[in-house]
Amino acid sequence: MKINVMQDVLQANDKIAEDNRRIFQKNNNLVLNLMSSPGSGKTCLLERTAALLQGKLRLGVIVGDCETTRDADRISKYNIPAIQLTTGTACHLDANMVSYALPHLKLEELDIVVVENVGNLVCPAGFIVGEDYKIMILSVTEGDEKPLKYPMMFNQSKLLLINKIDLVQYTNFSLEEARANAHKVNPEMDIIEISCTTGAGLDQWIKWLTDHYWQKLKGAAHA
Amino acid sequence: MHEMGIAQNILDIAVAAAQKEGASRITRINLIAGELRGIEPIQLTFCFDIVAKDTLAGGAYLNIETVPVMGHCNDCQADFQIEDYAYVCPKCGSTKIEVTGGTELRLKDIEID
Repeated sequence: MKINVMQDVLQANDKIAEDNRRIFQKNNNLVLNLMSSPGSGKTCLLERTAALLQGKLRLGVIVGDCETTRDADRISKYNIPAIQLTTGTACHLDANMVSYALPHLKLEELDIVVVENVGNLVCPAGFIVGEDYKIMILSVTEGDEKPLKYPMMFNQSKLLLINKIDLVQYTNFSLEEARANAHKVNPEMDIIEISCTTGAGLDQWIKWLTDHYWQKLKGAAHA
Repeated sequence: MHEMGIAQNILDIAVAAAQKEGASRITRINLIAGELRGIEPIQLTFCFDIVAKDTLAGGAYLNIETVPVMGHCNDCQADFQIEDYAYVCPKCGSTKIEVTGGTELRLKDIEID
């Protein structure tokens, strides 16, 4: 006998993501789901961002790693709230894990919340956590063909930060090639070249961040 | 890695539906998986067989129907299939593409005894 089911397999995750989104919305938080390979500079970017946003916008971070609280410890040094989620063997953050972090952040005192996902170019793209946008980092030491090899993540990201451009001369990474490959799988993607070491391009990143924050706030006021 | 979690979700939904019908076992599960979900059928089937063991769905055949990525052009209103992640309208060349299919991951139906 055949039974009709027609149920979304990730319904449980998507429902919790919607709950998270409502909580963020109530607190006027711009929420970004930051994804990349391990070692591309996610935590370093957040350290620089924390310093650059000081006195402008209030940042909070939820960070996922398989083990240790090293990332949250690094970010906390900049006097911003950082909650570490240790996922054990899980390869990505899902909405449920993120929901556990929310009571530990004073969201009403924050403007921007970054969810730093587990370093992985595949799985995090498949799960929404309640974010406004997915954004990602590709560092020049990883190779300019990565958008074609891992299209799903590049396709779903609003912004691509190409990091470690101070090292580009020591690699065979082509910035033009990387841009073309990223735009092939996501023609509307914003791309900013940065170096968290030298600070190059970080002003553009901060502008992107503040522009999108005010855009969201304006949208919320109209809603 | 995340195939295991997805396999568990599929199992939970299928078993709940089968129990409602008072089934003694599930013989087949039909799943619709959009290409954008990045599901690897071989891995998912492997994980499913493990989590389904000793449940109502033990030994059930997991049939995965992959559906392509579909796009709608917001400039010329054409609807088309997106291949190789090329998000460009084949008719007018516009990149203002809305994805209209390929993100679904849905348990369609089950067959029970």
